[in-house]
Amino acid sequence: MNYAELAITTNYSFLRGASQPQEYAVAATLQKHYAIGIADRNTLAGVVRAYDGFENPKLPKDKPRLLVGARLVFRDGTPDILSYPADRAAYGRLCRLISAGKLRARKGECHLDFADLFQWHEGLLFIVMPPEKFGAETKATLELLTQIAPRRVWLAASRLHRGNDRKRMRELQSMADSWRVPLIAVNDVLYHSPERRELQDVVTCIREHMTLDEAGKKLEVNAERHLKPPEEMARLFRDHPRAIAETIKFADRISFTLDQLKYNYPGEPVPPGKTAQQHLEDLTWEGAERRYPGGIPDSVRQTLRKELRLIENRNYAHYFLTVHDIVRYANEKKILCQGRGSAANSAVCYVLGITAVDPMQIDLLFERFVSEKRAEPPDIDVDFEHERREEVIQHIYKRYGHDRAALTATVICYRPRSAIREVGKVFGLTEDVTAALASGVWGSWGAMLKEHEVRQGNFDPRNLVIARAVMLANQLIGFPRHLSQHVGGFVLTRDRLDEIVPIGPAAMDDRYFIEWDKDDLDRLGIMKVDVLALGMLTCIRKAFDLFKRHENREFTLATIPREQPEVYDMLCKADAIGVFQVESRAQMNMLPRLKPREFYDLVIEVAIVRPGPIQGDMVHPYLRRRCGQEKVVFPAPDPKFGPADELKQVLGKTMGVPLFQEQAMKLAIVAAEFTPEEANGLRRAMATFRHVGTIDRFREKMIGGMIRRGYNADFAERCFKQIEGFGSYGFPESHAASFAHLVYISAWIKCHHPAVFACALLNAQPMGFYAPAEIVRDAREHGVEVLPPDINFSQWDNTLERNTCGVIALRLGFRQIDGMSEAQAAEIVNARGYGYGSLDQLVRRSGIFKHTLVTLAEADAFRSLGMDRREALWAVRRISDVKPLPLFAAARAPEQAREDRAALPAMPLSEHVLADYQMLRLSLKAYPMQFLRAKYDREKILSCTQAANMADGKFVRAAGIVLVRQRPGEGNAVFITLSDETGILNAVVWLSVFERYRRETMGARVLLIEGRIQKSPEGIVHLVSERLIDRSEDLKLLSENGPTATGPIEPYVPRHPRNVRVLPKSRDFH
Amino acid sequence: MATMDLFTNRRRILSIWLPRLPTDRLTRKAGPKKNCAAPDKPLVVAIKTDNALRIYAADRKAARLGLKPGMPLADARAMIPALEVAEADLPADRALLENIAQWCDRFTPLVALDPPDGLLLDVTGVGHLFGGERGLCEIVHMKLAAQGFIVQCALAGTAAAARALSHYAPGTIAPPGKEDEAIAGLPVAALQLNDAIVHGLKRAGLKTIGQVASRTRPELAARFGKAMMAHLDHALGKSERPLSPLRPLPDFLAEHRFADPVTAQEAILACLEDLAAALGGILEKNGQGAREMTAVFFRADGAVRRLSVQTGAPTRDAKIIMRLFRERIDSLADPLDPGFGFDLIRLEAGCAERQGGEMPDFEADARAAREVAFLVDRLAARFGTQRVQRFVPQDTHIPEAACAAVPAQYATPPKTAWQIKRNVSEAPRRPLRLLARPEPIEDVMALAPDSPPRRFKWRHVQHRIAHADGPERIAMEWWRHQDRMPARDYFRVEDEEGRRFWLYREGIYAETREPKWYIHGVFA
Repeated sequence: MNYAELAITTNYSFLRGASQPQEYAVAATLQKHYAIGIADRNTLAGVVRAYDGFENPKLPKDKPRLLVGARLVFRDGTPDILSYPADRAAYGRLCRLISAGKLRARKGECHLDFADLFQWHEGLLFIVMPPEKFGAETKATLELLTQIAPRRVWLAASRLHRGNDRKRMRELQSMADSWRVPLIAVNDVLYHSPERRELQDVVTCIREHMTLDEAGKKLEVNAERHLKPPEEMARLFRDHPRAIAETIKFADRISFTLDQLKYNYPGEPVPPGKTAQQHLEDLTWEGAERRYPGGIPDSVRQTLRKELRLIENRNYAHYFLTVHDIVRYANEKKILCQGRGSAANSAVCYVLGITAVDPMQIDLLFERFVSEKRAEPPDIDVDFEHERREEVIQHIYKRYGHDRAALTATVICYRPRSAIREVGKVFGLTEDVTAALASGVWGSWGAMLKEHEVRQGNFDPRNLVIARAVMLANQLIGFPRHLSQHVGGFVLTRDRLDEIVPIGPAAMDDRYFIEWDKDDLDRLGIMKVDVLALGMLTCIRKAFDLFKRHENREFTLATIPREQPEVYDMLCKADAIGVFQVESRAQMNMLPRLKPREFYDLVIEVAIVRPGPIQGDMVHPYLRRRCGQEKVVFPAPDPKFGPADELKQVLGKTMGVPLFQEQAMKLAIVAAEFTPEEANGLRRAMATFRHVGTIDRFREKMIGGMIRRGYNADFAERCFKQIEGFGSYGFPESHAASFAHLVYISAWIKCHHPAVFACALLNAQPMGFYAPAEIVRDAREHGVEVLPPDINFSQWDNTLERNTCGVIALRLGFRQIDGMSEAQAAEIVNARGYGYGSLDQLVRRSGIFKHTLVTLAEADAFRSLGMDRREALWAVRRISDVKPLPLFAAARAPEQAREDRAALPAMPLSEHVLADYQMLRLSLKAYPMQFLRAKYDREKILSCTQAANMADGKFVRAAGIVLVRQRPGEGNAVFITLSDETGILNAVVWLSVFERYRRETMGARVLLIEGRIQKSPEGIVHLVSERLIDRSEDLKLLSENGPTATGPIEPYVPRHPRNVRVLPKSRDFH
Repeated sequence: MATMDLFTNRRRILSIWLPRLPTDRLTRKAGPKKNCAAPDKPLVVAIKTDNALRIYAADRKAARLGLKPGMPLADARAMIPALEVAEADLPADRALLENIAQWCDRFTPLVALDPPDGLLLDVTGVGHLFGGERGLCEIVHMKLAAQGFIVQCALAGTAAAARALSHYAPGTIAPPGKEDEAIAGLPVAALQLNDAIVHGLKRAGLKTIGQVASRTRPELAARFGKAMMAHLDHALGKSERPLSPLRPLPDFLAEHRFADPVTAQEAILACLEDLAAALGGILEKNGQGAREMTAVFFRADGAVRRLSVQTGAPTRDAKIIMRLFRERIDSLADPLDPGFGFDLIRLEAGCAERQGGEMPDFEADARAAREVAFLVDRLAARFGTQRVQRFVPQDTHIPEAACAAVPAQYATPPKTAWQIKRNVSEAPRRPLRLLARPEPIEDVMALAPDSPPRRFKWRHVQHRIAHADGPERIAMEWWRHQDRMPARDYFRVEDEEGRRFWLYREGIYAETREPKWYIHGVFA
């Protein structure tokens, strides 16, 4: 029996369908449909997924055809119409139609009227979907549609199971007959299998913001709207067999398939009369001469030739020219940028200025990263200064126009936390319960809510409602929720982009994005350029500006002196606060072990502290080999199957240990005999969510394959785990190389110019791992004088100034003050002249608001007027908020009566320090723990440095302020960083101890830890916690020199945030 | 001593603070039974502010573990997983506070709420009844503590001073005129000024009320404003402010005092009728109608009896009001006992709502609807609100749940309208009579998977089916049932004698091969 289901709604009709497009592909193949038509609500977002679903190699060869269409839903009362393009041109019109509807609506909506069809109907086949109780509106639609699109209109008939199906069918038949359109059978499918009804009800409730109890008739009455086998459809339509046969005729009218979408690189940058390849070659040799003023080295010349040849063969010239064009714009505007990605580390990219990694310095073979067989476009991501990326984006729109340039979409999917939260709501669970269930999930990236996580939230997973909610939440995970714009992935085309895929507005003004995400584009071989933002580039540019202003030296990313040993010396000591990528605690632990001495070591350093190598347990073997504790051997197959050194080429540079993503992939190809396509499929399966079934298959193939060929089973297992670890955070060598370059540059600045580094880093905040307090402390430890913000000296930004001895010092800017506005700061700076001599002058000349004055006084910024915080506050509070009366202003006389200078009690230093923290999140005067030192000394509590200097295995009691709390992944330990006036101390709390001291671990600001010191041979110190005591109360000693409350209950302290935040909250990473 | 106070004309204010009112309310409610559930779990009450759940109140155990109001609940849970959390119920807290205030009637008639968790009692001249002011404080403290509340009390000449002391130095009794000395040592926060002012004072190093009071007035006024000065003066006992009374005044009232207390039922009702007419006039003048009327009978010996009647729609018609009161008084289980007579009768109108002027009726429908409403009100006054019910449509696919009975007086316009199940051209889709419980039928012959039956036996009678339509497939509401519930296929059938039935097969073919058949209703 032949039948094609043409009315399929997937979950890309957001919160309407309850099955993934891939699930339909599988189900339809197994049920042996003739074809299936994916028609989502005013969107084509799910069609590539369906296309992809049919690629599943497990499916039988005999597959249904995929028809691509959309269900047009109108706002003017017209019944829904399924529209299928018969050919490529009609497909373009469907895209234009949907784009038009999207452009007149807000993000995520699409407003269509029947009239829109007049413009775009050509070549589209229409199936009119009558509502349950149809009447005049359906007749009117048929009337008009048969006029504009004769012989391209069908009337859908579906069995509703509402008790009057036979009568309804007769009425439909007679309506079809009177307009001479064929009746066509559909089941108006919402899910692929009847078991999905529950999920369907849940997504309906989520969409309608209702609980199941409230939703009533908004829910479907039964579970009939699933994909039904052709035989069943034939039985249901036994009285109307022509309607079934019509589906085949309909499918046969359509010749369009997705692989007909041909992509054209934009042609802009090529001057007339030249081919793209010629132009690229010209630019390349020009660039090479600039890069190597002393003459192009032979090896480079050779590499360039080779690469250009490859580019020519693959026809990539346009792509490189496009990226070059964007980068050239950035360079003109002095916006720092750097490319990365598989193609980025080519010599061509270096001489074109796309990257600054010298191919002489690192041997990254470009062709190794371009897959041999696939016509996959090369991959270059370009990072720009995060503060100026918007300029680049607007330039792209200007240059290519909105119909040829748009951002990629990101499919926002349900994650465990959001899924349980929404499903919980639908079940009527209180917010507290769902929040608790959700908070049991540490890290929101897991693919499933597990039973123990439910228990962790103190819930019994056997409770029926909870169990159901968790079960359905698990089904919902991975479902698309809505489309959003990708952070920076641009699609640029020569032809109209809106005839390839619909485009719609983003939430931001002047931003437009397409309906497909990067996987979809990959799948169809459409090029995209990632225009990304990187905070460190902003920091480096600011540092370069400071060099220019204060030292009159100009630098670029490529001209920083290379390979200086003192820079590596610094990194080996883990002196890396603020340095790009290697400043995290894990990286700082790795530095002294890895002891980077040259650029490639940094590449490894960047790549090794990643989930991939860690989960694959590759880190320790590499470190052991590096320091000579273990021999470098290459895992080898049984001689029967291949040469013993087959992996030497793959793993040669990393001492026989796979560290980079492409090594792991290559390993699958060489050692487990994957085809390049399979390896690519493996990578994609890992990167995209919910390919549970396919992953198992790959797992078997890879591990089984390696063992069969004589590899060690443990090694095979670890290799696969590593690939799993790469997941969506795959880290290829080329990325690592680009990042490593920024590691070196930022380390170089920090090493030689700590004041410049700290200043630039502070001005580029928020970025990186450390709060301003740590950056400032680090700068001071490196001998930089740091000066407080002051109304007479500060700018908005932090600045450098020569102190009295002529040495460069860092002056904190007004931006460091909480609650300060940039405009008000500008008023102060503009009216400053030769300085303010008094508060009165400041008020009259700058005209700033009273609350700004209070903020400045709170921040202790009046010292240059001889007033400390307390005096200044007392003085500014007296100033009236309104502008001075003109008469007084003219007379330049103080408006208020004179007041005798009030003798206020002196403010103790400890209170000043606390106030500094409240306003600046740091203090230059002292460190809070200092004031507790005497007390702690008496209690025999050690400082951080004292503890760190104790011998390995020694039992200590040490206390400090909690800087960072971290519990990596599913880890069985919590990492805490303590800090005090002497330095920082890293503590580990193992899970068993954590469970006992959970409250202290999670809640304390000041923590006393008792435990044993553990020292590694490289001198990395950890305090292994045995007991934790919350000493946050001690902080009160710093401020409460006044009376304390009496009585049985501590008083309600007013909960103004400023009073609560005695110290900046620690940064917690869950 | 009391007389002295009167002579010096100084008021005496008792401040009662219940710092853990929200959690006390819950633990009290749980009572001793609480022990079996979770005796040792710390309890917090959470409230949603700024899109995050935060702790609103913590019980003593939770407080001892470091949980404080304002803390995000997620943080608290991360610290203490075994935390019991209740959602804040501010109206319930308020109601409880009002109850406590009423209970405080026994100490003084002048009780004011000090929301959200305090009371202020004007106890001027009443101390001697309870063994002096100290004795009064102790009695209040003891009795409330015995009720399961955590209490802090203090007594002073002004509300601000008493409140400051109860929060920061509980148990203090400031001697008359010495308020300034009593509160001098308290932190400035005790003044309960706004946070910005408290912060400003602290930053200036003025950390106690005494330090603040020692500054000159112009100095303070220039910086913190006149309102702050007035508040400070009040706290220091230099100025007084009246307390605002507790019981919310009724929206409108009419009352009649009797020189000689009345006892006769007729006289009482006649008075009530006069009052109803008077109140109706007041309401009309204000364009209002009341949904609740309360008659308050004050007995000469001090006992007070309150009787209320409610109406479904706002009203001010004296006749209607009287009819309701008569019904109410007639049906009293515990009759209105005048004892030695009432010396004051008051009629209060509550829940007043806007009501337009009386319009002549043009539409019989509206009149009929109002007649029904009157009937409902009368029946409800006599039999109780819960016992007069009305059907409202429900939003569900399940036939037997399609309507529900609710108290007629409170029946709000239903969210879903009655659905028309029948097109004019079509046979009805639902039976006229739905059986209270579907009854199994036997001997059913029907073709799988979804054909209508050809015959069946119900209550020992065989029916042979001549015509049938269907199926209408209705799946059960899976979330309401523990087990998987089979879906139903409903058929409308007519037997050879022309009788029409509504039958269903439980379990569609895909679910079960041996379906059960039921009859669920009969058509006319």
